[in-house]
Amino acid sequence: MNWNNIRLVYFKEILGAIRDRRTLISMIIIPLVFYPLLFFGIGYFTMTGQQKTESLPSIIAVHGEESAPGLIEILKEEEKIQLTGMPVNNQEGLESGEIYLLIEIPDDFNINKNLNVNQSIIIQYDSTSQYSQTARRRIINVLEKYRQQIVQMRLEEVDLSIDYILPFNEEWMDVSSAERKTGSVLGMLLPYIIVILIFVGAMHSAVDITAGEKERGTLATLLVSQLSRLEIVLGKYLTVITLSFTSMLLGLIGLSIAFLTPAYAFGELSLIKINLSLYSFFLFFLVLAPLVGLASSILLLVGIFARNNKEASTYVTPIYMGAIFLGMISLSQGTELSEVMFFIPILNNSVAFKELLMGVIDWGHILSTLFSNIVIALIALLFAARLFSRENVLFRS
Amino acid sequence: MIQVNNLKKVFNDKKRGRITAVNNISFHAREGEVFGLLGPNGAGKTTTLRILATMMAPTSGEVIVNEYNVVKAAHKVRQNIGFLSSETGLYDRFTPRETVRFFGKINGMNDRDIDDRINEIFNILGMNAFGDVRVDKLSTGMKQKLSIARAIIHNPPVLIFDEPTVGLDVITARVVIEYIKEFRKQGKCIIFSTHHMHEAEKLCDTIAIIHLGKLLSAGSLEKLKRDVRLDDLEEIFFKLIETENNNK
Repeated sequence: MNWNNIRLVYFKEILGAIRDRRTLISMIIIPLVFYPLLFFGIGYFTMTGQQKTESLPSIIAVHGEESAPGLIEILKEEEKIQLTGMPVNNQEGLESGEIYLLIEIPDDFNINKNLNVNQSIIIQYDSTSQYSQTARRRIINVLEKYRQQIVQMRLEEVDLSIDYILPFNEEWMDVSSAERKTGSVLGMLLPYIIVILIFVGAMHSAVDITAGEKERGTLATLLVSQLSRLEIVLGKYLTVITLSFTSMLLGLIGLSIAFLTPAYAFGELSLIKINLSLYSFFLFFLVLAPLVGLASSILLLVGIFARNNKEASTYVTPIYMGAIFLGMISLSQGTELSEVMFFIPILNNSVAFKELLMGVIDWGHILSTLFSNIVIALIALLFAARLFSRENVLFRS
Repeated sequence: MIQVNNLKKVFNDKKRGRITAVNNISFHAREGEVFGLLGPNGAGKTTTLRILATMMAPTSGEVIVNEYNVVKAAHKVRQNIGFLSSETGLYDRFTPRETVRFFGKINGMNDRDIDDRINEIFNILGMNAFGDVRVDKLSTGMKQKLSIARAIIHNPPVLIFDEPTVGLDVITARVVIEYIKEFRKQGKCIIFSTHHMHEAEKLCDTIAIIHLGKLLSAGSLEKLKRDVRLDDLEEIFFKLIETENNNK
């Protein structure tokens, strides 16, 4: 094996990839332009939508208002509630959006007479309407105020203070640091996003320089040169690793731009506070680099096996879906893996990475992740090199 | 230069079962000779040439290229051959100069030798005008010149051309034929496959007619004419194939 030959194949493939417009779009334009725009756009529209619903008063109809004058009084005092005197046709008014919420007070509703009877007020709203949801939230507050008013009045009648029925209050204090909060939010999202970025980066290049070469008929020229099969495979493998790693980095830069812009998609992340030392970068690398190596070797293997680009894409899709599934498990906040499960690649990378983001350094987890990824990547790579020597794979038609 | 003894290649096809693509063929080709493999599609020409080029291993038999065995010394064989076929595509995103330079390097040449050789080949093949234009912008004829340049950059003594004129217009095909003649003058051994009678007639010192994996006859055009007692290569070709089909 000659390293110079591997280098020659590597630089040839990298140059080819750089000159490919598809690489430019998928690796540069999408992460650096599209991601920020996408998140900014989502954030902007969500934010403006919320602002609009918050600023408008909720139009509410009350049926049977004479039965609960106290409630009507409170409703009238509320700045963001507008009572409509329109004749009420429950369903139609709600469905057409003319009213956002309807309160129906029964005719026999009387807070003074029926002291021991639980009376009901029926409230109709439309859960699919943002305006109706906002009105619901506002009415809940109003009803609570009304309820307290009644309770207070009744307690006063029997000479009791409100503390009689509220023996204690509670105070909740969040002791998590800003760092840990950021880690927790990032820990949910990032591992999953990184799995996608790594696979997307590796997918296109791995297929293009294997099955694509077969399809274009350029592979034969390499096979009759003085390069050994292993040199060709390693040169291509390093190319896929480079492109996959670059895709991950550019993707992360794009997402950082998206998260850090005073945009609105992830409000809590715009106040990102995370201490990044060289050591933590080293640990991130230790957990993520094996995943890049693993994804590249598996996708390269598939690309070599496939007859052409189309067939390779068919094989790659379920692998990509599987990777997304494993990455997705880390999205749930309570994920804790058993020691054995830390040998499942992709799942272990994402969970170990999540732990690091939360400030947990578990060397057992890091080493199992490293070990399982490297072993599987090596097996896939050796298998790829063997496939590259098999004429029934190279000349399948 | 090329010695093929009792070469056999059997494929196991899931649908069609065992297929004998090359059935016990033997021939030899010398330096300064153009050796033509003439046969219809599916005759076994491409398989034979792929084995000669070390891309496939024979099922049995022996192939020696410039004193090296294609199985035992595949790497050495590759140093001694230049391979060209309709399948050997080009990298669209590279220029001819970059392409030829890359193949010079992976064939173990140093930068200086590559530069000298590129100048020489580009002059001979008339490639200077498009030497720095990306391959995807080149015409078919230009691409075929580049394919030849790439195959001969390391100046191999043996050239293996698998249907080098397939899909080319008459002018480009003629250019290829002229270069094959030129390589013969340089003392190279050229083995090429074709199913065009006139190409074989005009170019080959030795013609080997193969059909269904078997070598039906081999020799100079004159020898074939004497053996089959016909004057025209096309008639000879069909007569041999007909006889073979009747014998089956």
